[in-house]
Amino acid sequence: MPAKRALIMHPYDNVATVVEEIRAGDEVAIPVVGTTLILRALEAIPFGFKIALQEIPKGDIIRKYGEIIGRAGTAIAKGALVHIHNLEGTRARGDLERRGEA
Amino acid sequence: MSFLGYVRSDGSVGTRNHVLVIPQGIISKSICDFVTGTKTILTVDHGSGRTASDRETIARILIGLGSNPNVASVIVHAASPGVGYPELHAERLGDGIAKSGKRVEVLDPAKEGGTYGAIVKGIQVARQMVYEASTLRREKVGDEHLCLGVKCGYSDTTSGIAGNPAVGYLYDKIVAAGGTALFGETTEIIGAEQVLAKRAATREVARAILDAVLVQETRAKATGLDIRTVNPVPSNIKGGISSLEEKSLGAIHKAGTAPIQGVLKYAERPTGKGLYFVDNWMGHLSIFAGYVAAGANMVLFQLGGGGVAGRTLLEGSPSVVAPFLWCTANPKTQAAAADSIDFYSGTVIEGSETPEEAGERLYRTVIDIASGTLSRSETLNYSEPIDMNLQEPRF
Repeated sequence: MPAKRALIMHPYDNVATVVEEIRAGDEVAIPVVGTTLILRALEAIPFGFKIALQEIPKGDIIRKYGEIIGRAGTAIAKGALVHIHNLEGTRARGDLERRGEA
Repeated sequence: MSFLGYVRSDGSVGTRNHVLVIPQGIISKSICDFVTGTKTILTVDHGSGRTASDRETIARILIGLGSNPNVASVIVHAASPGVGYPELHAERLGDGIAKSGKRVEVLDPAKEGGTYGAIVKGIQVARQMVYEASTLRREKVGDEHLCLGVKCGYSDTTSGIAGNPAVGYLYDKIVAAGGTALFGETTEIIGAEQVLAKRAATREVARAILDAVLVQETRAKATGLDIRTVNPVPSNIKGGISSLEEKSLGAIHKAGTAPIQGVLKYAERPTGKGLYFVDNWMGHLSIFAGYVAAGANMVLFQLGGGGVAGRTLLEGSPSVVAPFLWCTANPKTQAAAADSIDFYSGTVIEGSETPEEAGERLYRTVIDIASGTLSRSETLNYSEPIDMNLQEPRF
């Protein structure tokens, strides 16, 4: 079966956006500046959602568009779905401010 | 490049040729029901109990809509509950609009034999105005006369990777041609403000962008809430957006890459040409009326829609006198609501077009609609009320 497609927005990114419905075990191909990165999806990733391109330790920055879109709320494995269950936004967080964490 | 537009006496150019009757109310509604080619507005608020600052915002909306290049002439009536305030006197609104060189008639029920008399007089005046407007002809003019406003909504990840970049290409092209382009939604630049500040034309403009974000983020934090329970909105999260920062960094692509010339208030008219950031709120019932009051002669809604199942008819947002375009890059949205959508850029995701090719196709769509082709939402006789972006409490 041909690899499924995902798009990276900037070479510094550690996530890519999948543009096909992906099932666990599917091979995913991501064009990155002249080469193609191939990895295997650890779980189902719906169209338009993000896949981790590398292991991301808890607390590390998650980048898309070459910019910070949040931090890893838990350790994220390469090939895993990245969404609200494991990505923490850091801006405008009144809840953290109130708890004295921001 | 060029389009066919209505050249006004002040040098501005309309993409439409409406007679506008304001403010809202039974007088305006009756005139518009009776006379073809007229438009009125529907607003929730008349200004009663509003502070001077918010009343001034309402006045900017009313004067701005009346002064828009898409308007040939205007009737202002003095029967709105807000006209008791100095900012909203019908005479003041009429004088403000008349500065654009348009014909303005003020109807005062106290001088016309009451409400019925004002309606009768208004119908007579509106018929003349519509007839006069119909004698105008479109002329070929340059793209520097386009003024666009954009919002992205129901955003999903197709918005950031294809839909907004196509709009961004259009924005760059219009700005390069000497035109004007407006974008905004202050909450939705939180996390992307440094990127925008680097593109500011001056240090003052950079400061104003960062200040607008600081005010909005401070307000957000004061709620004590996790912003993710508010924005990104549920349809964004269902569409694959995981944080406000991710939403913002995708959203700013719709503004292209041109230098930012200034930061404007809601419904404030830009003083020059080029790209401007508007310190406004994302709500679709609010934002487009603000752009049109600032002079936009066309507005675009770049729709994601991954999280909006079952919507097969998209009715448009209140933009009053300016054509309103629906754009999407989401194949599911396109399939569900094809007859409502003016432009589709999912081709970029499917791999059959580059973002530049899609942007060029969007540009040609914009030129066609500017020249008189109807946008899909213009084929519907429906408008939701305007929810003006007022900031202060009511008393």
